[in-house]
Amino acid sequence: MATKSIRAEYIKGLWDENPVFRQLLGLCPTLAVTGTVITGIAMGLATAFVLILSSLVVASIKKLIPAQVRIASYIVVIASFVTIADQVLKAYFYPISEALGPYVPLIVVNCIILGRQEAFSSKNSVGRSFIDALGMSSGFILALLVLSSIREILGAGTFLGYEIMGSWFKPWIIMILPAGAFITLGILLGIALFIERKTKRSE
Amino acid sequence: MELVAIFISAVLIQNFVLYYFLGICPFLGVSKKIDSAVSMGLAVTFVMTITAVVSWLINNLILIPHDLGYLQIVSFILVIASLVQLVEMFIRKISPPLYQALGIYLPLITTNCAIMGLALIAALNEYSFVETVIFGFGSGIGFTLAIVLMAGIREQLDLADVPESLKGAGIALIVAGIMALAFNGFIGMLT
Amino acid sequence: MSLSARMILVLTLVGLISGGFLAGVAKLTKERIALNVQAEIEEAIDEVVDDAEVDMLVYEEEDFVIYKELDDEGRLAGLAIQATGVGFQDKITLMFGLDASLEEITGLTIIDQSETPGLGAKIEDWEDFLQFWENRDARGLLTLRKPPVKTIGELLPTEINTITAATISSKKVLEIVNLSLERLKELIKQEKISVDVEEEDGN
Repeated sequence: MATKSIRAEYIKGLWDENPVFRQLLGLCPTLAVTGTVITGIAMGLATAFVLILSSLVVASIKKLIPAQVRIASYIVVIASFVTIADQVLKAYFYPISEALGPYVPLIVVNCIILGRQEAFSSKNSVGRSFIDALGMSSGFILALLVLSSIREILGAGTFLGYEIMGSWFKPWIIMILPAGAFITLGILLGIALFIERKTKRSE
Repeated sequence: MELVAIFISAVLIQNFVLYYFLGICPFLGVSKKIDSAVSMGLAVTFVMTITAVVSWLINNLILIPHDLGYLQIVSFILVIASLVQLVEMFIRKISPPLYQALGIYLPLITTNCAIMGLALIAALNEYSFVETVIFGFGSGIGFTLAIVLMAGIREQLDLADVPESLKGAGIALIVAGIMALAFNGFIGMLT
Repeated sequence: MSLSARMILVLTLVGLISGGFLAGVAKLTKERIALNVQAEIEEAIDEVVDDAEVDMLVYEEEDFVIYKELDDEGRLAGLAIQATGVGFQDKITLMFGLDASLEEITGLTIIDQSETPGLGAKIEDWEDFLQFWENRDARGLLTLRKPPVKTIGELLPTEINTITAATISSKKVLEIVNLSLERLKELIKQEKISVDVEEEDGN
């Protein structure tokens, strides 16, 4: 693992180990906030903030923490950064924080974050943990962006709030309902697996 | 009347899985067999009800009076993590049969976002103590309903000819979507 | 140092550092967050009452708040009423304005709602619904106009418009307003609030 190049360490988060499409982690926020692109991106950035900073802290203090209390310590570190993200959003990006509702505090239980601390940051150097967190965050943002773009374009005929589908288009309301989130993600997972199998076979 | 409304809403309308998208991991992971889905549902309902009580007490007796709202996330998550362990030890001592039924599911619940979501949403809605308990219990029942229905459908799906790439999580999510659509029919039943 | 002592020490330290850190962040953001909440209310008031310069909170219940609005010369500009009631899916919080005579509704805006996206949620931005709340007769009870009309002129002064495909949500908004008007009249009758309509006009 340690022999991986920095680039490979980053790239793996985008596809091979993409948290949403490949590892099925962090599905709750992925489904919940992707009704519009703007909330999807905001959620992605907030999660990236928490993941990257938590990874840096955990990788720096890993030697000081006894194994028995490591999970509890990681949780406190993560929860602290989530609180900071929550308050900064409330103070400086109030409308977005209102739109995201309880899903900002819920970043604390996003399995991607605790998962990366346990699987990676607690075993690797600060630098590598940073690259890994950056890659996973990018992969997560990518997944949110794909899902929210599909849902907003088909569900409202807009992208980032701008009308793009023309007046002939009748929005598919189902896409912005919870049902649309489930079905779109289900189909995307199928497509991801299909591509994966195709590329595996040709190798 | 208000309490009945909160209960029905938590079970059918603002269902934790199908409306709030909370608890998706166990919803997809433990919904292959009806038996295990029922056990998981009961374990979650049990922990949710207790969490509702404890988180309400912490929020209203400690955090709000001392203006410590900024510690809400940290304290809720720590309390939930230790609570699940306590409940596990307690059940093992008091009722071995119940432990056998719920046992392996309890540790899985710690990272279940539905529990944390319950504590946060109840605090956000500023429910009273009784309302919080009803909300916690109702949300647990709602989760159980969703996961058991899902398991029932998935047992049948095993016999269906699903495209290879959609097998597993893909088709489960699509089925969940259709269920969410069906649950939309309950919206407005309180009005 | 024994293991358990180290465990306790580490956990305490992690807790203290994060607690202190969060207290600092909370101190920095608290004021701004309060201002944001305040600004949201003020913005809603400005939307529904003309020439509102000074907002005075005169009555407050959990689901029913009345602000007395004065213009820049200190005369009564109207009342702004914030009310919460049950919608189609969840609670709806709205703000509506009354003119200084308390006989006409001057406007309505939705502060918070979680109606079905794409359908009931239109109460928040459907212009033919929101703008047609201007100059409604507030002396009696309002009724819903079905089917919807295209211009405000087609409505009677006691009617409000319906949103296509969201009749129930429209009706819920109407019910909240009607109930609020009754509560206001009752409060004035019991002299729990004083509006001083004539006095202010006379000065």
